[in-house]
Amino acid sequence: MNYRTFVTSQSLLMTASSMVFPFYLLLIRNIGDSYSQFGLAYGLFAITGALVHPVIGRLSDKVGDRALLLFYTWGMAGMMLVVPIIKTVAALYMLQIAMGILGAVQKTTEKTALIKQTKDSQTGLKIGNYHLWTSVWGAVAVMATGYLVDFLTIGSLFYIASFLYLVSALILMNSASLKMHSHKEKPVQP
Amino acid sequence: MKLKWIVTGISIYSLALYSSFSVFSHQQETIVVEDEGKLLPTKMKVIKSSHSTHDLQKWVKEEDAISIAGMQHSQGGHTLYPAGTLLDMKSYNKIVEFNPKERRITVQSGATWEDIQQAVNPYGLSIKVMQSQNIFTVGGSLSVNVHGRDIRYGSLIDTVESFRLLKSNGEIINVSRTENSDYFPYVIGGYGLFGIILDVTLQLAEDELYQHRVATMKYEDYEDYFKKNVKKDNRVKMHLARLSVAPKTFLKEMYVTDYVLADDQRNLKKFSALKEEERVALPKLMLGVSRYSDWGKDVFWDTQKKYFLNSSGKYETRNNVMRSDRAFMKYENPNRTEVLQEYFVPVDQFTAYIEDLRTVLEKEELNVLNITIRYVEHDEDAVLSYAKDDMFALVLLINQGRSKKEIQRTEDVIRKLIDVTLAHKGSYYLPYYSYPTKAQLKKAYPRINEFFNRKRELDPEGRFKNLFYERYGK
Repeated sequence: MNYRTFVTSQSLLMTASSMVFPFYLLLIRNIGDSYSQFGLAYGLFAITGALVHPVIGRLSDKVGDRALLLFYTWGMAGMMLVVPIIKTVAALYMLQIAMGILGAVQKTTEKTALIKQTKDSQTGLKIGNYHLWTSVWGAVAVMATGYLVDFLTIGSLFYIASFLYLVSALILMNSASLKMHSHKEKPVQP
Repeated sequence: MKLKWIVTGISIYSLALYSSFSVFSHQQETIVVEDEGKLLPTKMKVIKSSHSTHDLQKWVKEEDAISIAGMQHSQGGHTLYPAGTLLDMKSYNKIVEFNPKERRITVQSGATWEDIQQAVNPYGLSIKVMQSQNIFTVGGSLSVNVHGRDIRYGSLIDTVESFRLLKSNGEIINVSRTENSDYFPYVIGGYGLFGIILDVTLQLAEDELYQHRVATMKYEDYEDYFKKNVKKDNRVKMHLARLSVAPKTFLKEMYVTDYVLADDQRNLKKFSALKEEERVALPKLMLGVSRYSDWGKDVFWDTQKKYFLNSSGKYETRNNVMRSDRAFMKYENPNRTEVLQEYFVPVDQFTAYIEDLRTVLEKEELNVLNITIRYVEHDEDAVLSYAKDDMFALVLLINQGRSKKEIQRTEDVIRKLIDVTLAHKGSYYLPYYSYPTKAQLKKAYPRINEFFNRKRELDPEGRFKNLFYERYGK
């Protein structure tokens, strides 16, 4: 995984998450029938994230951030397929727990990957660039979605987001195995 | 290796996508519909809507559970039925015929009062009886047999000459006081249970110029005031009163607005442009504050009273009086809603009734935001007639939560209020949430069994269904 693929895949998933975020909030709000349920659902997300952070940190050192990022993108692609069909508060709570875990994975891997990508030199510049592109995509996505909702149902927005996560996952997989490919080829070369 | 994993990933994803999407599209097959009360979200099969009488006829033959809907401002599920077909009549709204000379108009039932006002105002004509607001469809209004500020023309039923009815077997008949007359008193005030009202011929009144006459008084003086200064004074054509819900003057202070025929009718033209809703922000803010505090209720009452007293002497045409503001009342809290109750009580009973009402309301917890009073003349033409005498109609606007517990709490209080009303030989209005018991319904509407029996005779397959019928008719 090189810096470029990393930024591309991160931008893609940032696009996906910014796109659905406002509607996801709306969904949580609509399924719960009081603000206390809304609070609980949101709190579950945060608290799960908090609790799994140490575990994920350790895991990241063991399996590497590429594996975790793959876990995150595939996981989110799957979650976005579940979101449009949930109907009950119980399902929403479970979804929030799962999202909490995935969110924590993203937070940790984003940072570890960034550190590794920028270890050699120009750390600040690279991080700046990273944030520029991911944020720009996020911003564009939010604005575009504002217009899109007039034409699409909210359900289909989640499906589009799921597809974006899928693409992001595929880019990561592709780049990862490319590396493996070159490793394999090396010994053959004289 | 790479390809294998990617292919596996995509396959699993496709499977998941397929399952998710099939569940999703299945869920979309039912539509959750609510009426204005927001207490009865109901999963319905489909919403159908058409300009064509032929389509309506076809659907009546095809569908086995139909609920007919106009603006859906009824609050007891009168337009809803689980897994039923909702016939949205709003696009069936043409003006079929307008004869200014004979002061008569025929409109399709989805037309609103606003549509009629736009058509007849240029001819100096006006609607005889309708609600205080003009957003409602004619068909919906007929189905609840509305009344309004007018005090001279009775209930809506008195202004209807005839209508066409699409029956449960797909047949279309003319209904008037002479033709198929047995349908007349059932369909009007029939809550959509006897068929689809297609088009309606209504009598019109002359548009007139009125002068507002506003006065404040104590509740115990109202009866006399009304009899002497309103009922007996033929120049007063419309009337509306408001009873205080502010803690300082709770159910004691009132102010009344009489619409008095102006001396010089030649000025009518000057005022006849139809007004649009203008005051929204301030009344909305005040009503908002009064929802949450007693202090707010006092401020709202005082300001409102001052505002109306200041408008005394103002000129307004009949058509404009019948275009009352409502946007400021729109309430969008996801957890709470605002429901209406309307109680009818004979004019002679008013003072004693208010005292008993106050006793209940002071003890119980009910967030009443507004009480308006109108007058309806004795009229028992409709089978489900609420005007068993010359009566005052009190409309209560109540803010309540949407949870089961809150509904239960409101129900307890409202049943007590209805008991008080019935004890004063009163009745209550049916388009609201099904809080009343079956016994209370029977007492307020002695002909209710006759009504439901006739429904079963005329619609033997039970094609026209709604939650009101489900709750009380079975």
